[in-house]
This record gives sequence, structure tokens and C-alpha cells, in this order.
Amino acid sequence: MTDATMSTVTAPPPPPAIRRSPLSSTLIHAALIAASIAMLYPLLWMVSASVRPEDEIFSSTSLWPSSVDLGSYVRGWFGLDVSFGRFTWNSFVIAVLTVIGNVVACSLAAYAFARLRFAGRNFWFAIMLGTMMIPYHVTLIPQYVLFLDLGWVNTILPLVVPKFLASDAFFIFLMVQFFRGIPRELDEAAMMDGCGPWRIYWKIMLPLSLPVLATAAIFSFIWTWDDFFGPLIYLNDMNTYTIQLGLRTFVDSSSTSDWGGLFAMSTLSLVPVFFFFLFFQRLLIEGIATTGMKR
Amino acid sequence: MAAVQDSAVAVGAGAKARPAAQGRLAAIWTKHGAGYMFLLPWLVGLFGLTLGPAIASFYLSFTNFDLIRSAEWVGTANYVRIATADPKFAASLKVTVLYVVLSVPFKLAFALLVAILLNRGIKGLTVYRAIFYLPSLLGGSVAIAVLWRQLFAGDGLVNSLLAQFGIEGPSWISHPDYSIWTLVVLSVWQFGSPMIIFLAGLRQIPTDMYEAASLDGASKFRQFYKITLPLLTPVIFFNAVVQTIEAFKAFTPAFIISGGTGGPINSTLFYTLYLYQEAFGNFRMGYASALAWILVLIIGVFTAFSFLTSRYWVHYDD
Amino acid sequence: MWMTRRRVLAGGAALLSYSMLASSALSQEARLRVLWWGSQARADRTNKVNQLFQSENPGVSMNGEFLGWSDYWPRLATQVAGRNAPDIIQMDYRYIVEYARRGALAPLDEYLGSVLKVEDFDKVQIEGGSVDGKLYGVSLGANSAAMMVNTVAFEEAGVDLPTPATTWDDMARIGTEITKAGKRKGFYGIADGSGVEPLLENWLRQRGKALFTADGKIAYDAKDAADWFAMWAAMREAQACVPPDIQALDQYTVETSPLSLGKAAASYAHSNQFVAYQGVNKDKLKLNNFPLIGKDAKGGHYRKPSMFFSVSAQTKDPELGAKYVNFFVKDPKAAEILGVERGVPESAAVREQLAPTLDELGRAMLDYVSGLGALAGALPPPPPSGAGEAEFALRTVAEQVAFGQLDAKQGGETLVNEVSQILSRG
Repeated sequence: MTDATMSTVTAPPPPPAIRRSPLSSTLIHAALIAASIAMLYPLLWMVSASVRPEDEIFSSTSLWPSSVDLGSYVRGWFGLDVSFGRFTWNSFVIAVLTVIGNVVACSLAAYAFARLRFAGRNFWFAIMLGTMMIPYHVTLIPQYVLFLDLGWVNTILPLVVPKFLASDAFFIFLMVQFFRGIPRELDEAAMMDGCGPWRIYWKIMLPLSLPVLATAAIFSFIWTWDDFFGPLIYLNDMNTYTIQLGLRTFVDSSSTSDWGGLFAMSTLSLVPVFFFFLFFQRLLIEGIATTGMKR
Repeated sequence: MAAVQDSAVAVGAGAKARPAAQGRLAAIWTKHGAGYMFLLPWLVGLFGLTLGPAIASFYLSFTNFDLIRSAEWVGTANYVRIATADPKFAASLKVTVLYVVLSVPFKLAFALLVAILLNRGIKGLTVYRAIFYLPSLLGGSVAIAVLWRQLFAGDGLVNSLLAQFGIEGPSWISHPDYSIWTLVVLSVWQFGSPMIIFLAGLRQIPTDMYEAASLDGASKFRQFYKITLPLLTPVIFFNAVVQTIEAFKAFTPAFIISGGTGGPINSTLFYTLYLYQEAFGNFRMGYASALAWILVLIIGVFTAFSFLTSRYWVHYDD
Repeated sequence: MWMTRRRVLAGGAALLSYSMLASSALSQEARLRVLWWGSQARADRTNKVNQLFQSENPGVSMNGEFLGWSDYWPRLATQVAGRNAPDIIQMDYRYIVEYARRGALAPLDEYLGSVLKVEDFDKVQIEGGSVDGKLYGVSLGANSAAMMVNTVAFEEAGVDLPTPATTWDDMARIGTEITKAGKRKGFYGIADGSGVEPLLENWLRQRGKALFTADGKIAYDAKDAADWFAMWAAMREAQACVPPDIQALDQYTVETSPLSLGKAAASYAHSNQFVAYQGVNKDKLKLNNFPLIGKDAKGGHYRKPSMFFSVSAQTKDPELGAKYVNFFVKDPKAAEILGVERGVPESAAVREQLAPTLDELGRAMLDYVSGLGALAGALPPPPPSGAGEAEFALRTVAEQVAFGQLDAKQGGETLVNEVSQILSRG
């Protein structure tokens, strides 16, 4: 077995180079570029909205501002009681902890569901799926009372601790589906060699699941970055606000809003999350090709 | 990749340390214990954080809880009212089902198509993938709400494009006949997450299978049909189930784009938006809880059905 | 019931016994938490006043939190439900009944005259903060419903600006003239106000009716509502107002109104939003009262508390809360900081103090509210429970009529039916 594993698990090959006629390749690129424009438009619009005069944002539909004013970036960054640097840091801390919590805790649970046999497995799996189905608005208040009793309100604990307890069933289910796609021969062989479940989890499952772990990391980071309802309820002190709460502070629909500041900071807030995506998406490519393994 | 090779060595070394099974207890532990050990964090979370609030909300669905005063038991009155005397329940359920039926298939098909195109070893793969994920980065931000109005209002970009073809479009986003479509487009446009999951799934398919098939002279289409699709079914199944659950629970798109109203004329009144209005706008948390548990039932039935059918079309390796 | 629920939850929490224990440490000094909605500009002023109060009251520490309007209400509801309410709560006219009747607010009557010295308030405005005969909120400023008029668009079309004497007939004619002038692309005379509750209320009051009776029933009939919808249907027909799919873009916020979107020359709002409207509009705006139903019609408007400060029923020291509220509305230094940002101050002394210091927009707001004269009538009783839902129903039915799903008569019947049902459910 060991020899087989050694030879089969190799460095990722380049994406299959398939010879294609130049025409079909051009067509595909044309389609992808056209789609890219539709995808990029919002970003361009947001950048444009962030530099144009405030009285033009809602009445003008042109992408080009009549004049360019970078003042809203300065106003947005320093205009609130707490600077946006602080919000960014708060978001970053919560997001990184969430990534770690989700990847560790959900992969543990997913491994149990995907590979281990134990009494009540299907029951717990159904419960796990069930927790995905409850609209959060109705569990919000009981949960708030619970966290209040624990003394966690106005700290990041209500946003982070549940992640270390695998509260996000989405990621468990996602990892279950991928773990089940890993050839069972690998862990059977390892088991014959005397490996326990921990070893198999740590030495086979995790390394072979890099793409899905990267996916979970990316989603955890981005969704936490974008989340506002949890922070809205649990973070009351402005020094603890996340980026999304900060952004929403610019807007009060009943009185004056700083729209320029909103769009300027919205644009800036995309930068870290975009870099996080770029960094982790490399791991998506590094899928492990299990060549030579019989199925 | 050094780590993986190390792991192979470690796997070999582990053989010497095989523990000997001792007694019945040990046997039970070996059989079930490991599973529960791995589940432990999740179980702690379930019993400590998730289950309590869920049970509380189920209990509240039989009360008249108004957020402020103590809840009083009202029996099944909330459920009876939903079933017999609440036209908004039916209206919002209709809007939601329409949204699920329209958005999920389009979004998944689009995500799968793009993922397959991108997986073909095309130049600039990473650039395209990053660009295609951009809309999903924006999530449900306020900026999206403003942007969508700029696109789909009467004098928005979409109508400017249509005007090139001599078509005079309505104000899509604020017309009761079309507003739901703008939310469907928003959902499809944010197809980044299922796309990434599909891509991860495609990366897990061993390349040697294609090589073997190529040698056998199988056409591209046949390879896709015989290899890619079957091996991707667990991921397709996952995306379909999860996207459907999410679409049933969709709240943010309608909330930000209709300003929380679900208008015009309730045409974007998603189920959870109605639930939210009842809970926080009209102080009927008890009633909203009953609405929530009916939604859980609906989603639960759908999901159970999906799992029952999955054994006929989803191929697992185990 | 509440206790049992809490115990169930506490049981769950006990599993996490390694975590910190509940009760927050009792601090030596009194701490007042203030929660309000608004912009950063409002927060700057409020925080300064809080600092001032803190420095003048040793041993008191102030803690301010603020949010935009739409985020404010879920956070407040959660905190009140969780028994973690802020001590001082900014309240809206619509919600004060909902919170007061449910016992979330502390009655302030016992502090009147001693701690709360609001003798120089307009009596009516004090009543505005009363529910079932008890005072639950102190008005932070008066405003009135108002029409925001784009003066430049009127000039371009060669139409005279509306005056206090402008009637609905005039408005319909003017509206059509502006639309027909066609000076701007896709531009219409006025916003479609058929679903705007303050506008309907104003129109009903001129007819001697109202939205709600004092005991919380509907105070107009199907005929009134049908006439209202018919008036708007005629204006829609004559293109005096915007078509329904443009009106439906309006979420009754500053930036989504047809005026701010550059679709209409006039829109309906409240006078204290004047600064906000001017902020997102290039053209110079003007405040005007709502049109009259006839030459000598009166009393449609009223001076309304724009917002209140209420003291939470959960606060440890309601007297300190009352003291803070009094400081906020009466202290000259506080008044200087606050200006008219929350509306025209209720205290006559404060108004006098501020008058010379106001800028042009502030001046316009003050003049508008104090210059209503006979156009303003008595303050209606606070809206009953279910008023928010009733407003929603008006809006939906108005859209159904505008989009042609119902005619005006059917619309009138549907609206009165739905509102009656909502109010009886409470």
C-alpha cells in the first residue's frame, strides 16, 4: 500500500492541455470576456459613485462622473467616530477566527459523517441538516438571551465561538460530499496498516481535500466579511464594529446620509477580501490527482 | 507535496503501533466511540447553543409572544390562523416558490457551465475566476440595492440597451409583474459560490480517467457524459439541496431591494421577509415563529425527498 | 412564561459552564446607555451633549450607541426582549404606543415639575408623548409634514411656485403643465402621493375626518378612501403625477423619492428632513404645506413630535434618566450644540435662544413649522397598535389602484376593510 500511495499521490499536473482549434478557443474567450464585463460593471459603477458629487449619485445613470472628487475617501475613512482602519481590523479578526473554526470543527464532524460507522449517524446527520432550515430571525432572541446570560454580548464571542463548535451546517455537508469522493481504498489500506481514525483524518483526508478546505476557507472569510445582522445584534460599542456595520452607519434613511463615504468605503472594503480570495484560490487549483488508483 | 509523502511514510510506521482490542467496552468504543469523538465539538454546539434557541422558538410558536411582554400560551391558534385566515402567508409562499423554481436551476446551470469552461485549462483561468466571483463578494450590501435600481429602473442601463433594439422596457424593478425577475437575475448573477464548489469538484476527478477514455477514442461529449457528470453528482446534489434551502430562506435580496417592504404589491414579499415584518415590525414573534416552523417543515419535506431520490442518481465512491 | 423560557436556555448554557458567568459586574458609578437612530452628524452633537452631562454630573458615565433607522428597530427590539434595554431610548411617534402599552417604557409623570421642567413646552406636544394618560416620551423637536418643491424645475416650466393657498385642483393643473413643458427627460409634475399616509391624513383632516379615532378604530369610510383614490387616478390620467412604476421606486426614504431621483418636481416628507433632501438634490428646494381641498380649508397639518426620548422601564434609576432628558431639551449649552437637527425645539426659551444662530435651511424649517397658522390643527391621538401595518396596507392598495388591479371604488372598500381588520387584531 505504501508504495502505491507514494507513487500515486504526485504533484498536481497542469490543467489538461487539450488541443483545440483556434476558432473555438477564440469563441470561448469572447464569451468569457463578454461575461466578465457584466461581472465588472458593478465595481466600475461603485468606484464611479464613490468619486462623484453626492447630488448626482441617484439622478445620473451615466458611468462617468461629471467631476472627480476623492474627498469621500477621506471623509469615509475618518468621518465616523471610529476610523475605518479599526472596523477593518475587527472584521479581519472575526473572519480569520471564523475560517479557522469552520475548517477545523466542520471537517472533524464531516469526517465522522462521511467515513465512520456509529450508532445514530443518520439521525445526527438529519438533525445537522435540520439546523440549516430554521430562519435565523426566530432563534435570534432566544440566542441573544443565552449569550447575554453568558456575558458574551458586546464581545466577538457570539460570532466566533459557534464556529469552533461547527454551528455552520453548510460546511459540514459540503465537506461530507467531498470526503465521500475520496477513494475508500486509501483509508482501508491505511487501516490495514494499523492507522486509527485520527491518523486517517489527519494524514489522508485533510491533505487530499485541499480544494474543499480552501473553498470552505474562502466562503467563511467572505461571508463573515459581508455579514451584518450578527454584528448588528451582538456588537453595540462602535469600537467593536465590523466593516459592514460601519458602512451602514453612513446611511440613515430618515435623515442625512453620507452616500459618497458609503461607496468609497464599500470599494475599499472589497480590497482585503479580494486579496484573500486570490490567495486561497491558488489552493483550489492544487487539487490532488489520484492517478493510478483503481476505482 | 512533501507533506503528503510524509503522510504515506507515517501511515506505514503506524502499523507497528496497532492497539489490541480488549473486552466488550473496548469493542463498543472502537465501533462507535471514534465517531462521537469526531462529532464532539458539533454536539457541544448543538446542545449548548443551537438546540436551546430552536426549542424556544418552537415553544414560542404556540404563544402570543410580542417581544416585550411575557409570552402567553395560545395553543395552535397561530397555526390555525396561518392555515385559514392569512392571505399574506399564501402570497409570500407563492412568491418564494416562484423564486426557488426560477433562480435555483438557472443559477446552477450557469455555475456548472462556467466551471466546466474554466476547467478546460484555458489561458487566464485565475483572472476569469476572480472576475466571475466579484459579484458574490458584494453580497447583500447597500451598494447592491442602489446599483440594481440603476440597472433595472425605467431609465436604467438595461432599458438603454433594449432601446438599441427598439424595445421600450418598463421599470422592471418597480413593476409588480417583473420585479421578482430582477431578484432572480441578482441571484443568478451571484453564481460565484456554486461555481467555486463545482470547480473544486471537477479538480477531484482523476485526470487519468480522461486519459484512458481518450485512448479508447471516446469523444469529448461522451467523456463528459460518462465520466465528468457521474463523478460530479455528489457535488451537484450538494449544490442543488443547499441552494434550494437557501432560496427558500432568502431574505437579504428582497429586503435591500424593496427597502423591506416586499413591494410593489407584495410581488417581492419573500416568506422570510413576511416573517421578519411580523416579528419585528408588528411585534408578533409568536406568530412569526409559527411561520418559521411551517417553513422548516416545507424545506424538510423537500430535502427528505431529495435524499430519497438521490440514491438513484448520485454516485458515491463508497 | 418568560422565566421558564429563560430557564430552558440557561440549562443549555450550563453545558458551557467553563465560560464566563452571567451577571455583569455592578459598577460603582451610575451608567446611562442612550440609543438613537440617525446620522454621524446627529451622533456628533448627541455625544457632545452626553459629555457635557457627564462632566456636570460626577459619578455618571454616559454611553451612546446609534444606528441608521432601518437597523435601529431590530436592535432595540432584541435588547428590550433580552432585558438588556438601553436606559434612554429614542422613540418614534409610530412606535411609542407599541412600546409603552407593552410596558417597556417608564412613565415620567412623577418627575414633571421636579426633575423634568417642561413648563414652557407647547402643552399639545407634551400630550403627544402621552399614552393612555401617562407621559412616556419627551418630544425632542416639532416638525410637520411638508411638500419638498424643486424651485428650479418650476421656473424652467414657467409655472408659479406653490403657495400656502394652493389647492389640489391647482396642483393637478400645475403638475400637468410641468409634465407637458417637457423641459427634462422623463420628468413629471409631482410624486404620486396616493399611498403616502401623512398626505392622506392631511386630506382627511381637511374634510373633518382622521386616520384613527382616539380608541384606535378607523376614522374614515370607504367613500372617503374611494374619493382619495379617484382624485389620484384623475391626476395619473392627466399626467400631473408620475406613472405607477416610477412611483413604486419610492421607498419613502430621502434618496428614493421621485424628487431626489429627478423624476418629479415635488414630493412629500417631513419638515425636519429638509436638510437631508437638499443634500441629495442639486436644485434649490423649498418647503411648502400640502395642497388644500378648497379655498378656505383648514387644519390639515399639525405640529408633531418628530421624535422622543423615552426612559426604559428596565433602567435602574428612572429619575436620573428623566434628569438627562431634561438636560437634553432644556439646557442652553446643550441646545446650542443640538441646534434644530432633530426638529424645532419645543421649549420656547430654547427656540428664542437658537433663532438668531440658524443657517438658511434651519431658518426655513423653523419658519415653516411656526408659520403654519390656521393650516395646523389639533394633534391627533397617538396612532394605535397596528398603525404600522395599516400604513403598509394603504401603500399596497394604492399601488393596486395605480397599476390598474382595482378601480378607485374597489380600492376604497379594500383599504377600509383591511385597515379595520388590522386594527381589530391589534
